[in-house]
Amino acid sequence: MRIELESVRHVYAPGTPFEVEALRGVSLMIESDEVLGIVGGTGSGKSTLAQHLNLLLAPASGRILADGVDVQTIARSELRRRVGLVFQSPEAALFAPTVEEDVAFAPQRLELGVEETRRRVRETLELLGASHLAARPPHALSAGEKRRVAIAGVLAMAPEVLVLDEPTAGLDPATREDLLGVLRALRDGGTSVVMISHDLDEVAEVADRVCVLEKGEERAVGTPEEVFYTFPEASLTPATVRVVRPLRGSHPEVGRPVRFEETLAALKELVGGQV
Amino acid sequence: MIDGNNEGARRSGPSVVSCGDLAFSYPGSEGAALTGVSFEARAGEYVGVVGPNGGGKSTLLRLLNGLIKADTGSVSIGGLDPAAEPFEVRKRVGMLFQNPDNGLVAPFVEDDVAFGLENLGVGRAEMRERVRRAIRAVGLEGYERREPHTLSGGEKQRVALAGLLALDPEILLLDEPTSMLDAAGRREVLERLEELRGTRTILHVTHHLDELLSADHVLVLNAGELVADVFPKRLVSDAKLRRENRLALPTASRLAAGLRLDPAQLRTPEELAEAILRRVKLGVEAR
Repeated sequence: MRIELESVRHVYAPGTPFEVEALRGVSLMIESDEVLGIVGGTGSGKSTLAQHLNLLLAPASGRILADGVDVQTIARSELRRRVGLVFQSPEAALFAPTVEEDVAFAPQRLELGVEETRRRVRETLELLGASHLAARPPHALSAGEKRRVAIAGVLAMAPEVLVLDEPTAGLDPATREDLLGVLRALRDGGTSVVMISHDLDEVAEVADRVCVLEKGEERAVGTPEEVFYTFPEASLTPATVRVVRPLRGSHPEVGRPVRFEETLAALKELVGGQV
Repeated sequence: MIDGNNEGARRSGPSVVSCGDLAFSYPGSEGAALTGVSFEARAGEYVGVVGPNGGGKSTLLRLLNGLIKADTGSVSIGGLDPAAEPFEVRKRVGMLFQNPDNGLVAPFVEDDVAFGLENLGVGRAEMRERVRRAIRAVGLEGYERREPHTLSGGEKQRVALAGLLALDPEILLLDEPTSMLDAAGRREVLERLEELRGTRTILHVTHHLDELLSADHVLVLNAGELVADVFPKRLVSDAKLRRENRLALPTASRLAAGLRLDPAQLRTPEELAEAILRRVKLGVEAR
């Protein structure tokens, strides 16, 4: 599914002294089968934007189109099946006595039949490397395990677009790698993935395109190399680019690598016979 | 078996936090969350705690502040047993939780930051001053009258940290204090912690090894056991230790290692860029 945002504005607590304009007219295209990384400082509007994609929040003005159709005209239940949203710290919402039942909760309401529901739950847990947890009570799991179970609960709905808000916060590096692998696999299978993250290094590694939000506006949208070689601020630049950029003045042949492996290869080439 | 073989030096001074052969299992779960954990932190030490998810890091912090009670073994914090005297212990120990939503209670940011002080019976004028300083320290000036639930995850985490700084406890237990923060917020929080170094005893749980490169020592917890208590240098030099405990070096250090440069000497991407430039220049001169 392709999602298009047209000048989306959002205001919290309108007409009160606490009024905050969180989105100031964001226009953005989310293509099918891509990983779109959304980055930006704390309070830049990332989570607010995510919650508009399945109309958990409605825009004060502007439009959101799903495959060209205004999402306001799509039934909410239909929209939320097609656009799955994984919140920040989603494990807070686990409640069923076992992992299996928790993951089955949402698909059960799709009336797929017992067999199909079971199959989906099994496959989703397998995809996330959490099959061994099926019979365990969620509260007894570690933070990383809970995170995977919470994501499984959304994936079991087989959404066309998966939106994740800081999905790797608090995960150990190896578990984080595994999860990024899952997101790539979903993308390759045709799911659009929107990943909000403050970790630029991981966005550099996994995103096909990047959107930088700043104070509720999109400051840049493009491929990782377009976006990450644009900004002078270290806080908007992944570590790989921070290493390469100072070298480009005297050694332009190093190019504009972003991902870790391509950066290492370019640097090895540069230092040549010394390594 | 604890592996403590590496270079560096521990602080001398009285032990402030100590655990002896600590064990704990969550009710209804099969394995133990912690077994046979013994270590000590001396006054003013900055102690890192790392290891895979489910390794026992958060459980250890909860035992230290008396939220849960050990099945066997001893815990002593400032000479007190937190399970027996949780309220005494919490006057001296501040804890920052992983998920900041769990800690915010008041209608406005400034009330939230003041909450702990109110409970300690601090006077009005002093309270106001301490709250003001703490809010400034985490870069949230102008947020005093915001409602916590309207804040972003990273802003909430900073409010929670401000509450802790206002209390100014002797011992800080920090469970991934930067996990929700962007690069700028993370740097700010780490600078605040750096200012407290040596005057407060700090246990800092994190998945970011770069936050612990100047820690006094680092505990590695895996599957409920303390598998290593080492100086941070060792985490940089020992790939096997990292692999076995699902740890990763920061990106710049990994690039340095891939280029056969010393990751321990090159802590930032900018330092690495300079080292590469020097290397290239030497190569050209040699030819």
